[in-house]
Amino acid sequence: MTEAGPTPPAVETRGLERIYRIKPRPVTALAGVDVRVEPGEFFGLLGPNGAGKTTLIKILTTLLLPTSGSARVFGFDVVSETKQIRRIMNMVAGGEQSGYGILTTREQLWMFSQFYGLGTREGWRRVDELVELVGLTEQREQRVSTLSTGQRQKLNVARGLLNDPWILFLDEPTLGLDVGAARAVRELMTAWRAAVPGRTILLTTHYMAEADELCERIAIVDRGRILAIGTPAELKRRVQRESIFRLEVDRLAAGARALAPLPGVVSAVPASEADTGREAAGRGTVAITLVLRDDAALGGVVGALGELGARIVALRKSEPTLEDVFVELVGRGFEDEAEGDGARPPMPGAEPAAPGPSHTTHPHEPGEPSDEPLAT
Amino acid sequence: MSRTAVSGSAMSEAVALDPGRLRGRPVRDAWRSFATAARLGWQMEANWTDPLLFFIYSVAKPVAAALILVVMIEVIGGSAGRGLRAFVVVGSALWSFVVSGMAGLAWSVLDDRERYRMLKYVYVSPSAFGIVLLGRGMARLAIGAMGAAITLAVGVAFLGVPLDLARVDWPLLAVAMPLGLVAIVALGAMLAAVCLQTRQESWSYPEAAAGALFLVVGAVFPLHVLPAMAQAAGLLTPLTWWLEGVRQALVPGSASAIGGDGSLWAELSGHATPGGIEITAALLATSALVTLVAATVFRLSERRAKDRGLIDRTSGS
Amino acid sequence: MNALVHRQTAGPREAARWNRGRILANNLRSVAGRAYPRIAGLAREPSWVFFEILLPFLTTSSFVFVYRALAAPPEYVGFVVLGGAMSAFWINVIWMMAAQLYWERDQGNLELYFAAPMDLMSVLFGMAIGGLVMSSTRGAVVLVIATLLYGVTFSVAQWALLLAVFVLTLAALYGLGMVLASLFLMWGREAWHLTQLLQEPVYFVSGLNFPVGRLGFLGAMAIATLPLAVGLDAMRQLAFAGSAVTLGTPTPEVEALILVAMTIVFLVAARFALRTLERLARREGRLVTRWR
Repeated sequence: MTEAGPTPPAVETRGLERIYRIKPRPVTALAGVDVRVEPGEFFGLLGPNGAGKTTLIKILTTLLLPTSGSARVFGFDVVSETKQIRRIMNMVAGGEQSGYGILTTREQLWMFSQFYGLGTREGWRRVDELVELVGLTEQREQRVSTLSTGQRQKLNVARGLLNDPWILFLDEPTLGLDVGAARAVRELMTAWRAAVPGRTILLTTHYMAEADELCERIAIVDRGRILAIGTPAELKRRVQRESIFRLEVDRLAAGARALAPLPGVVSAVPASEADTGREAAGRGTVAITLVLRDDAALGGVVGALGELGARIVALRKSEPTLEDVFVELVGRGFEDEAEGDGARPPMPGAEPAAPGPSHTTHPHEPGEPSDEPLAT
Repeated sequence: MSRTAVSGSAMSEAVALDPGRLRGRPVRDAWRSFATAARLGWQMEANWTDPLLFFIYSVAKPVAAALILVVMIEVIGGSAGRGLRAFVVVGSALWSFVVSGMAGLAWSVLDDRERYRMLKYVYVSPSAFGIVLLGRGMARLAIGAMGAAITLAVGVAFLGVPLDLARVDWPLLAVAMPLGLVAIVALGAMLAAVCLQTRQESWSYPEAAAGALFLVVGAVFPLHVLPAMAQAAGLLTPLTWWLEGVRQALVPGSASAIGGDGSLWAELSGHATPGGIEITAALLATSALVTLVAATVFRLSERRAKDRGLIDRTSGS
Repeated sequence: MNALVHRQTAGPREAARWNRGRILANNLRSVAGRAYPRIAGLAREPSWVFFEILLPFLTTSSFVFVYRALAAPPEYVGFVVLGGAMSAFWINVIWMMAAQLYWERDQGNLELYFAAPMDLMSVLFGMAIGGLVMSSTRGAVVLVIATLLYGVTFSVAQWALLLAVFVLTLAALYGLGMVLASLFLMWGREAWHLTQLLQEPVYFVSGLNFPVGRLGFLGAMAIATLPLAVGLDAMRQLAFAGSAVTLGTPTPEVEALILVAMTIVFLVAARFALRTLERLARREGRLVTRWR
């Protein structure tokens, strides 16, 4: 590729496939992913655990080879031009515990500044700037082993900005953070990207509201495939034509799916915890997210509920969320994947009334740091 | 938990407080913790490879340690060397057991804190921390025992160690072995207490500590060649008496590491060499002393670790 | 320029273009960066002075007393002292080099190293230099105190060659450590046990406390393959010039050449092993995945 001409896409993958050859049977983490992220975009990959998000990030950050297909970062091939990519990118993962506990916050960052090619003094200057930026001034001389989870994540974010990357890969960056810390991370990321035209962020998350709030475009990923790409508004419009209701009944032995075959019902799934699910569980009722072809189909549902012996406790029509998009695309909610695993709290930093996000644990995605090993 | 409604009675059944759990069952709980930790320790030590490689690994280290000394004796030659060979082979074999036993407990702390990051969970579980560590260290102790036995067998078969089962002083052996084991475990607990305070790179500390003790316990040379202060330190160490007891039990009449011309023991006691009863009494007294010191050190270390938040830290450099 | 904008570059393509000087500087700085925690760790956890210096000195002393008990000639005590000093480097190589990448992975650092622009060799060099500070201190202390305490008399005729052999021994030792670091990571859990297996058996075949020539064929094999064996033997010949007991092995000059060859072979092998490791890590997707 020549240097002249327009800047190539920040990320471009074609037919990207990744299969993990593990026992007892191979796992397909990516099954032909085509995605294009333009320079300067804040792009989100949204999907449940095991969807293939982290695998895609690992390939793009040169940590993993694709099984087939191609991937380029600013025009550099992830297989053969790794050094070039490593000079212009950085990554921050949630729940990271990396580094050396015996070093102080400043020293840890300085060490990484040397790995990223900053001069000795320049490194210390940069470290001090970032320590202040992320709000670790008080902890600057504190040993890393004594930092709290939130402080450690701020440290990771500061590390990710050390080399002024052109593209920043954020893999669940607010995982495990409290409301304030998560909001601080999101605001910082937004400000950092806006500071220089062309800076690109690729975010993976399963916090739907986080993706909705931050990303200009989102790809919804499930089981290694991209199901839809668009702006949050575009994605939501996909389900706008349908009517979405939050339904709460006193009991429903057959579960939400009993409503799915009814005429005019597009999908019926248990409501997410963050929506009405948690309150319903507290009241001992059953909450359901109901997508109908049109409002007229509601009558049939109400009738069927009566026949099933269920009494309606609450019913309200709601605006679509990204989860509704996901449900429509996949035919199930995030939480269906790991029914019984328990649910996660809502997105850290989300407004209490924020609709939609739901979180749950899912079967492991090979290569995710928090997962079980593939082999040892 | 699934969304299926749980009836009130079922719920109360599920969460009903078992008073027995609160009180605990001290002996049964301790045994269960110990056995579980020992089984886990064994799996971690032994299941990384096939049995043949595991056997080589378990034996190569102590046999090589004994061979270093055998060659040292051989290069000098002479009558002193011939007399010393059986002495060093037995001492070296037993010492490998000591090193394994001491390292087992200390490495459990480092393993569980730095590598598996499980120490905090072990610590907050109802099981006694010390019992779990003891269990975890058992596997290494067993491997050490196996290595020692095989080194002795090699010594008997190839290096002229005059071990005759008919002549073994079984009562002395039966008394010395458990007392020595207590002392080894106590020293291991002391090292575990140290490793609770130090950084990740403390893996070599147990071997370093064992190496230092090696100087004063008469494992491979008689104490009388040491300065009086070092001899005194040796006489206060249970391992010196344990080695002497086991050596005299296995090869009755072999050279004494403690007594002999010019030895501090001979000077203090007036006897040339200690007898079985003296050895047993000294072993009992010094083991009790070390166990007491180890328990105190371990408790202090635990308190300091809690005070400084060291239980769940990682400290690599 | 501010915290959000540090270095303004024209664009990503330009920012990715580094000249050779910048690549070299990045790697040199990475060496210093990785050595830093090692050296800082020494200052912050002073317990190593006791465990890494005093106790090993006592271990060395034990072997001195074995020779004393045997009424051995005085140069044998010198052999033990030299062996005790050099064992510090071997311990450092296997515990803090060979097993280190394995540790880095478990701590989550390896991924970050792979994703940074420097060569992984620089990280290994950094570890080696950080470790050398500690092991050199230990080696020097053991050598000086034991020499004074046990009255070792050195007889050196070729100081320059002795120095060269010492430096070459370290280069070869740490080169081997770099090779082992990659291999240990690839072998996974076995690494842990191999580290221990490489202690006493290597001491034995390297002749840590006796002239390696006395091991015959086994000693010759060790001289041909183990930097500790050949380096120690050459240093003994040079430090105790004229001592008849070191005969039976190649001359120090030849052993220096063996060390040069070992250094080259190990460094090339380390580079190859690291590249293989990186390729495997990227292909298999597991070598950088943390294991708990």
